[in-house]
Amino acid sequence: MKLRMNLVLLALAAVLLFFLPDLLKLFFDKASVSYLSLLINATSLAILALSWDILARTGQLSLAHAAFFGAGAYSTAILVKQTDVSLWLGLPLAALSAVLLALLLGSVTLQLRGIYFAIATLSFAEVLKAVIQKLPSSLAGGAAGINVEPLFRPQFIAGEMERWEIAFLRNESYFLLYAGLLLATIVLSLLIESSSLSYAFSAIRTNEEVAAVMGVKAARFKLLAFVLSSMPVGILGAIQAHRIGSVSPDETFNVGTTVLALVTPIFGGLYTSLGPILGALGLASIEEFLRRTFSEGYLIGYGIVLVLSILFMPKGIMGLLRSLRKAQRESL
Amino acid sequence: MSLLKVSRLSKQFGGLNAVQNLSFSVEEGMIFAIIGPNGAGKTTTLNMLSGLLTPTSGTIALNGQDITQLTAAARCHLGLGRAFQVVQPFPEMTVEENVMVGALFGARQSKQLALNQTHAVLEQTGLLRLKDTSADDLTLLQEKRLEIARALATHPSLLLLDEVMAGLRPKEAQEAVELIKTVNTSGVTIIFIEHVMPVVRDLADQVLVMDYGTPIAEGSYHEVTQNPQVIQAYLGTDEDAA
Ligand SMILES: Nc1ncnc2c1ncn2[C@@H]1O[C@H](COP(=O)(O)OP(=O)(O)OP(=O)(O)O)[C@@H](O)[C@H]1O
Ligand SMILES: [Mg+2]
Repeated sequence: MKLRMNLVLLALAAVLLFFLPDLLKLFFDKASVSYLSLLINATSLAILALSWDILARTGQLSLAHAAFFGAGAYSTAILVKQTDVSLWLGLPLAALSAVLLALLLGSVTLQLRGIYFAIATLSFAEVLKAVIQKLPSSLAGGAAGINVEPLFRPQFIAGEMERWEIAFLRNESYFLLYAGLLLATIVLSLLIESSSLSYAFSAIRTNEEVAAVMGVKAARFKLLAFVLSSMPVGILGAIQAHRIGSVSPDETFNVGTTVLALVTPIFGGLYTSLGPILGALGLASIEEFLRRTFSEGYLIGYGIVLVLSILFMPKGIMGLLRSLRKAQRESL
Repeated sequence: MSLLKVSRLSKQFGGLNAVQNLSFSVEEGMIFAIIGPNGAGKTTTLNMLSGLLTPTSGTIALNGQDITQLTAAARCHLGLGRAFQVVQPFPEMTVEENVMVGALFGARQSKQLALNQTHAVLEQTGLLRLKDTSADDLTLLQEKRLEIARALATHPSLLLLDEVMAGLRPKEAQEAVELIKTVNTSGVTIIFIEHVMPVVRDLADQVLVMDYGTPIAEGSYHEVTQNPQVIQAYLGTDEDAA
């Protein structure tokens, strides 16, 4: 019932997102290009955050999401470089390599909890980065990385189109792709929430021993969560590689990706579908606002906002909304 | 064939023999009590039965099948249910959701069937009107009931209860005794750990007494309470406490 309503809302959102680039162009003209870039950042952050949250619902707080992202990006980059197959084949390949990696990492960390789990996942990501760097440079490009062809090449019609219009077309195509991936990730998350998986995930998160005694095969569900969480992130890495135009160990296996993957859902509210998305919209807007206001050293301001929000909204935006709604109900 | 057969079970924690050479059998349909002073190894025994601790040595057989190496979840699927001494509901879930976990994954059935069964179990344990309450907001009595309800939802053929009466007022304990009797009548074999002796007298068909990890007596309530070694064990701890 609730699922059906959410899916209807999501379909409406899909329609809106589809026309959003044209609306932006209509109202903002040239500025629509940078609005689209901002939206791409927010969408990509939302995909990362929501995927991370899916794994966190089983109590596994991963510091390895840069690895899934990087695996997706690199498998695509290598495929494109070494073969002539369609660029689009890179996306399912990226999902597959992220999933394989997730199964490997998930099985070796099954018995680990808390800080030990976190350290193991972080080291895993670092090791993978080092391995990529050491692979023969004819294969993986070494420390310099590999250039990646763009997925979209807008046709330039000389004299009829201005530069920004081409940039707009490019951004529009990528935005629709990111939006599609985000919608798919949201559907995945909603299906998990409304199915019996949510009971298993939440039971494992709060007390794995009791869950096991009640018949929950914790290992199986923890691995499943790893697989489901890594898939969108792998695809995201691949799309990003195309859009940025290159992969390299330092840029692609960036700890920053891992940090954003966990900070965003915490900021938005953990263990929900909406929380990580609100978190991504919030953080992307705050970052953009600070960048425009303070250009120099805006990251300091960003850090302060994060610290303050975690201090004053420990349950994130969702927690804030929940207590507002409760206060409202009580005042009636 | 006994429903449960425990053979020469031992558990060491470092140098401490928490359970030593413990053997007993439980017949189908029975209510079986394990008693003994604090630290006798009763909870450790249940932990080995339900698969949370690996025995140092010995075997456990359920329905003739050796389950010593099986995981806790696998044992649950074979019909072993467990209520914990220290209540530990899933605090972020409602009462209904807590029981649903057992009905879904212990009894392994569709969501609709699990929901029906959950409501039946909540009715039986007197929790139905609290179904939407957060498990975090329950009183101790309600938490104990929830502990039993969750175990029942897994559809056990053998139910392990660890001091479910502790902390309850006499009237509440009487209600719990009635509940356990009803559950037993519905065909569930029960092993319970208890310090409250009148409860043991009212419920147990057979009593096993443990002290310092070893079994010191087994028999009916009257037999074991007459046993000099048992009296000594209980008086001994009284002296220690004094
Ligand atoms: N995980 C553990 N690690 C080390 N020692 C333990 C562990 N669990 C129990 N013990 C020890 O084993 C002994 C038996 O403990 P157990 O909890 O089984 O006793 P019990 O009979 O259930 O006692 P009570 O009536 O107080 O619940 C105690 O000395 C206890 O301190
Ligand atoms: Mg105990």
